[in-house]
Amino acid sequence: MTRRSRTAALLTALSVFAAVMVVSGPALAIRPDEMLANPKLEARARQIDKELRCLVCQNESIDDSDADLAHDLRLLVRRRLLAGDTDAQVKQYVVARYGDYVLLKPPFDPETWLLWLGPLALFGAAAAAATVYFRRNHAASQVAPLSAEEHARLAELLGISQPGKGDRE
Amino acid sequence: MIAEIGLFALILALFVAGVQACVPLLGAAQGDAAWMKVDRPAAVTQFGLVAIAFGALIWLHITSDFSVLNVVQNGHTDKPLLYKITGVWGSHEGSMLLWTFILVLYGLAVSIFGRDLPPALRARALAVQGMIGVGFLLYILLTSNPFLRVDPPPLNGNGLNPLLQDPGLALHPPFLYLGYVGFSMAFSFAIAALIEGRVDAAWARWVRPWTLLAWCALTLGVGLGAWWSYYTLGWGGYWAWDPVENASLMPWLAGTALLHSSIVAEKRDTMKSWTIFLAIITFSLSLLGTFLVRSGILTSVHSFATDPARGMFILTLLAAVTGGSLALYAIRAPALKGTGLFTAVSREGSLLFNNVVLSTAAGTVLLGTLYPIFMDALGLGKVSVGPPYFNLVLTPLMAPLVMLMAVGPLLSWKRGDLKSALARLKFAGIATFITIVLTWLVAGVSTRSLLASLGLGLGAWLLAGTLAEWGGRVKLFRAPFAESLRRAFHLPRSAYGLTLGHVGMALVLIGIAGSQAWQSEYLKVMHPGDVASLAGYQIKFEGLDAVRGPNYVATRADFVATENGHFVATMQPERRIYTAPPRPLSTVAIHTNFISDLYTVLGDPDNKGGFIVHIFHNPLVPWLFVGVLLMALGGVVALTDRHHRVGAPVRRTVPRIPRPALRLVAAGVVVTEEPKPSHGWSTMVPLIAFAVLAGFFIWRLHLASKGDTPNLIPSVMINRPAPQFDLPALTAGQPDFKTADLKGQVTLVNFFASWCQPCRAEHPLLSEVRAAGIRLIGIDYKDKPADARGWLADLGDPYRAVVTDEQGRTGINFGVYGVPESYLIDKNGVIRFKQTGPLTEKIIREQIVPLVEKLNR
Repeated sequence: MTRRSRTAALLTALSVFAAVMVVSGPALAIRPDEMLANPKLEARARQIDKELRCLVCQNESIDDSDADLAHDLRLLVRRRLLAGDTDAQVKQYVVARYGDYVLLKPPFDPETWLLWLGPLALFGAAAAAATVYFRRNHAASQVAPLSAEEHARLAELLGISQPGKGDRE
Repeated sequence: MIAEIGLFALILALFVAGVQACVPLLGAAQGDAAWMKVDRPAAVTQFGLVAIAFGALIWLHITSDFSVLNVVQNGHTDKPLLYKITGVWGSHEGSMLLWTFILVLYGLAVSIFGRDLPPALRARALAVQGMIGVGFLLYILLTSNPFLRVDPPPLNGNGLNPLLQDPGLALHPPFLYLGYVGFSMAFSFAIAALIEGRVDAAWARWVRPWTLLAWCALTLGVGLGAWWSYYTLGWGGYWAWDPVENASLMPWLAGTALLHSSIVAEKRDTMKSWTIFLAIITFSLSLLGTFLVRSGILTSVHSFATDPARGMFILTLLAAVTGGSLALYAIRAPALKGTGLFTAVSREGSLLFNNVVLSTAAGTVLLGTLYPIFMDALGLGKVSVGPPYFNLVLTPLMAPLVMLMAVGPLLSWKRGDLKSALARLKFAGIATFITIVLTWLVAGVSTRSLLASLGLGLGAWLLAGTLAEWGGRVKLFRAPFAESLRRAFHLPRSAYGLTLGHVGMALVLIGIAGSQAWQSEYLKVMHPGDVASLAGYQIKFEGLDAVRGPNYVATRADFVATENGHFVATMQPERRIYTAPPRPLSTVAIHTNFISDLYTVLGDPDNKGGFIVHIFHNPLVPWLFVGVLLMALGGVVALTDRHHRVGAPVRRTVPRIPRPALRLVAAGVVVTEEPKPSHGWSTMVPLIAFAVLAGFFIWRLHLASKGDTPNLIPSVMINRPAPQFDLPALTAGQPDFKTADLKGQVTLVNFFASWCQPCRAEHPLLSEVRAAGIRLIGIDYKDKPADARGWLADLGDPYRAVVTDEQGRTGINFGVYGVPESYLIDKNGVIRFKQTGPLTEKIIREQIVPLVEKLNR
């Protein structure tokens, strides 16, 4: 079966069934022959892999995907590292070709302000709502102190001769 | 016949649900006891009918009745009985029926356990359940009928994906739905309370155990999903922040908030409108999850068959449920006032903080999940929001909550004493400090491991703090041991619920931190006899066996792990080939010592006698799963508390006013006035936010139904010079082609490959491009030149020049991610247009030809 038709067949099967992850069982994404000899460099490469999206398989990083393109991109990442690129430069190299879409952690720019600041805003809103709620609840349950007449009447009812002072808690 | 009975029962159930939705509600409004009394028999009947339908579908699957489409699509005669049954909810249609079945099961529970509930409250709540039932039954009958017949029936079915033939996944959906749908109880009772305009202790006492039950089920459901992903998928992880996983996490976060606020509502008669709001939000998020998975709006590796029509239906349902209830909330909530007073530093205060953080977390997950769709639909480009985002954003959010989790239970209600609480956490503080320092030193001093150590420290803090709270309750070490033991026996079960739940959370946290930071792996081609060493273990590849299962054949590898020469474990991962449907599947072999896992996966053979072997050492992952179990267990234990027992709360007839005060009331000194409804604008906010969100979804679905699929990625290469390349001709002797050759003439560069089916479909159209006078250059992408030559010889060669990009490097430089792709490049070598996927006549005529004319001018 050709690569394409295999992918197509699997995708069809996938769409029929529930809750299926990666294409055919365990994702043995990275292969030993892709790995760099230098373990430090390889570790950096793995970290970069985890932050780059595989474009043909939605919602997977190239580290998780055994798609062909992911394989090519892993090799590309390693070539760039061997060429002396920094991690940021490697990512930039891929972004220049595929756009910000390949970054699983989107950059902070006007289009993603809401995404990055949203949680803070949500927290602020929830905290404000809680504070308002707390205050209102507090205020609503504060009872005005009794007036002098009420004290007198209270004393009379409770059969106390001395009008008590202070207010209800 | 069975299928028809099932269908007929569903139709009848729809009518009964309709009656249940209207009659008791009208009865409650009119004060008509006879009408209200319709609620229980209706709920029981509806349950019976849906049970018949569900039973019918299970029967059809067990008997492999291939005259029914749903069975054909998912069944197979060779499947083991268990998976024939669980295959019922493996499909979209069957899972919706399971959903509805669980809904009516809860309805039945109300009618059994709620006999002594105030009749009007029960009537209204069951009516709301009836409405939800109408919605889902209509959905099944109109868009997802599981009883459709096929004619002629095939000899056998398509079978269930082997990945799903797994006990963990067989149980995952029922638990998940028990959780999702269980929150409908809190929801229905919240709506009933809003209609009634009254939330009292009877209400809260009723709602609390059901929320607890739903929460336990959802905790287990989410945990089972993570566990399944861990032990079947072979990637060494358990959570990928996939939209579908997020869809189950959101209701869990909101449900956890609801669980805690309902405690306050019951015990302290306050935070009532807050609790109602959370009940609405939690169930809405459950519905949203159902919607997202089935609508086709999200692209996820897990989703069901996607269909905009189904999406539109669930969206309408969601709009009715959430929109309607939020509108009701906006009108009625301001009148719901609690009486319980509390200061900021108190049990209530800490639970309020819990609610703030958990709501924010649920909102954040929602934001991250939906943001890419927003961006795309608004034409702002494409973004990906993946694990790095969620980890980065949620960690600082959850950390303070975990810190407070140890303190909160030590604060007393109304007004707590922070100082004495912290004094009791002295040892927890010391334990935390030691954990952080020790783990950091042991694991090696680096930023990454510092983060892990901080995470472990948080876990230690919560663990020690929770145990300290328990120790305080039983006076551990402060009273004679026998006394402590006696106290431990007499502690209410709900107290153990708290302890177990929080200890479970601590273990989950420790598991996450440990596995994130200290996972190590081994990945090499191994031959029988080779030894891998990882994390202090020697793992020897002993050899291979051929084994046969009920519906698969497999190659099984034997690995023996030793530590310093001592035997540790034998691990036998397999590579299975299932016969129906024919599909490969690798199984993972895991050895656990309850502190860490050795995790072995047998990969592809290298065809030289070796196999790719992937071994992970996953420290503390077992703690994570044990933690999830403990959390759920805590919920169950709390549920068995006499106080919480799902039972019959009776509404107090005498208002709870202290006696002397009562006399004051009688004397007319104190007027117990209804609190004035405050200005209601703030309760409108959620409604408005939801309206915006719903409007957006409708628009998106509208686009989807017009065929604007969410999968195409716009190119960043437009209006940029074509990348540098210099590729050899496909056929020796023909001219090469390089970037400089693009100058001077408008060119269409077409990436193709002989293995690509859509390229074959596109091929005839290419001559049309050529006929339009456009220079057409073919780049054979990641292909064997001989194959491509044969392909062109068969189909004809429309290209001016064909060059080969065997490694795909030029493709990557162009931003190619799937062939065929075509780039229109102007006379100066600048890319002006890109088509991802096959060209069509329409695109050529309406976009390419006019653009070429413009560029030639």
